Amino acid sequence: MTPRKLKNGVMGFLVAASAVLLITVLVVIVWHIFISGVKYLNWDFFTKTPTPMGESGGGVFNSIVGTFLITLVAAAIGTPFGMFAGIYVSEHRGQRFADIVRLCADALQGVPSIVIGIFGYTFLVVRFRSYSALSASIALAFMFVPTTTRVTEEVLNLVPSGLKEAAFALGARRSSVAWNVSIKTAAAGITSGLLTSMARIAGETAPLLFTAFGSRYVEWNMLRPMSALPLQIYVNASSPYPALQQQAWSAAFVLVLLILLLQYGAKHLIARVLRVKA
Amino acid sequence: MVAQPSRSDRREAARERAFTAASLVAAVTLVATIVLFLVQLFITSRTSRAAFGLPFLWHSEWNPVTEKFGALPMIVGTLVTGFGALLISTPFALGIAIFLADYAGRKVAEPVKYLISLLGGLPSVIFGLWGLFVLVPIIGKFEVWFGKLVGSKALVASGTTGVGLLAAIVLLAIMILPFSASLILEALLVVPTELKEGALALGATKWDTIQNVELPYVRRSTVGALVLALGRALGETMAVTMVIGNGMKMPTSLFDPANTLASAIANQFLEATSPIYIGSLIQLALILFVIAIIINVLARVILRRGIQQ
Repeated sequence: MTPRKLKNGVMGFLVAASAVLLITVLVVIVWHIFISGVKYLNWDFFTKTPTPMGESGGGVFNSIVGTFLITLVAAAIGTPFGMFAGIYVSEHRGQRFADIVRLCADALQGVPSIVIGIFGYTFLVVRFRSYSALSASIALAFMFVPTTTRVTEEVLNLVPSGLKEAAFALGARRSSVAWNVSIKTAAAGITSGLLTSMARIAGETAPLLFTAFGSRYVEWNMLRPMSALPLQIYVNASSPYPALQQQAWSAAFVLVLLILLLQYGAKHLIARVLRVKA
Repeated sequence: MVAQPSRSDRREAARERAFTAASLVAAVTLVATIVLFLVQLFITSRTSRAAFGLPFLWHSEWNPVTEKFGALPMIVGTLVTGFGALLISTPFALGIAIFLADYAGRKVAEPVKYLISLLGGLPSVIFGLWGLFVLVPIIGKFEVWFGKLVGSKALVASGTTGVGLLAAIVLLAIMILPFSASLILEALLVVPTELKEGALALGATKWDTIQNVELPYVRRSTVGALVLALGRALGETMAVTMVIGNGMKMPTSLFDPANTLASAIANQFLEATSPIYIGSLIQLALILFVIAIIINVLARVILRRGIQQ
């Protein structure tokens, strides 16, 4: 066997081994969340609020409500900004300012979540003199907008230029081409992007620490402190009580399910878009 | 005679203006956000800057009791965990990307890719939960074993905890792996087949082709991907916060409890009551923000050039 062939074999083995190792680690982590999460699930977990520190029983209904409210409001605030910025970048492709906007969206995507949390605190909580779910939603919107912008732009760029040119040839204005042709063609793709962005922010903890702050009660008022699943996982995991730690695993399991559901919806929509195109 | 514009014409013109304005406003908002962050963090950290000035960056004492604050322990913690994680995960990321691009058939590659994207989408706090209850005890045992091996009584004695720099590095390495692996894979998949086939036709082995044709082709994209992964590791908050141990002192070994810029803020911000403590933590956020922006812009520039070539 020549050295070259030997090296070929050895490197092939190493490459496969690294893949096997990663897959093992991934499966171990996912499996652990699944097993530990399911073990402590019960009906109370979904319907009750947390018991006082150290007592067993109770649930995370308040956090489930909080996660839904905070995420939905963040998406509602962020969607128009993200979509229109995406439209701008796509419509002005190749222009200098559009390039800057795209670069800013990319840079914002890389801003650490804790920095967004601190910003939310100094900019909103200090100003309103109170922790509130709304300030958490606004903080999360800062993460939601750049991802939505990029996805919207990418999906709009896929719209065949022939379609748009046909509309222009019929005398349509820019706005009605963008609205009636581009956006309608790309609607499923954009919705899919919105779901992906929601899946991303639903699991965020750091932006909520100093904004939503957490609450032991079921709270529907966005102007008051509110709990959320990621926040609850963090608080419970850091507590010394085994009952609360077990609840953290169940909350983690439910959160993962929620995120998977959103991602599945996104994937399903994208698959439909691709099928229509093909 | 000039034709009077019809009502629907006017309505459409108004809609045109509103549409253009809305997209311009959204685009400007995005750019303004970055400036707003910078200004806001700069203004609200003024107490700390007034007290410590520029030496804040290299002062190694962080003491909430005497209210003397220097960011060096956190900067060191951030760099050690970030580069440590990158060092560990890069060979694996390359290995997996090459495996998926060149070795695995569709039936293997598709589920593995799904698993990787699944892991990439897991929230940071869940990695933290797993790290705290599964990884940290393992690191603790390793710490005792290692202490006995090198004959260090201190390690054996403290070795029941496991929280510290090493736990954070290992956890971060796992967390950034899916990210860098999928970016490298994306680059490998666009290497032209003719190039690969050309090399194979000349009698090159599979690995010869990978080493001399594919890897040089994706070098720039790979560097860009790794810079992006580094940026993620440096700013990663919750998972690190849960396993690094909130140590205030300058770490002297990999087993020491420490803090990164992000974890110091997450661990201490709610306890901070004095204006100078709060200001110092906000200044840590400012440093982190500037680092993150620089790294991300750098990575995009590298990646864009990579595409142009």
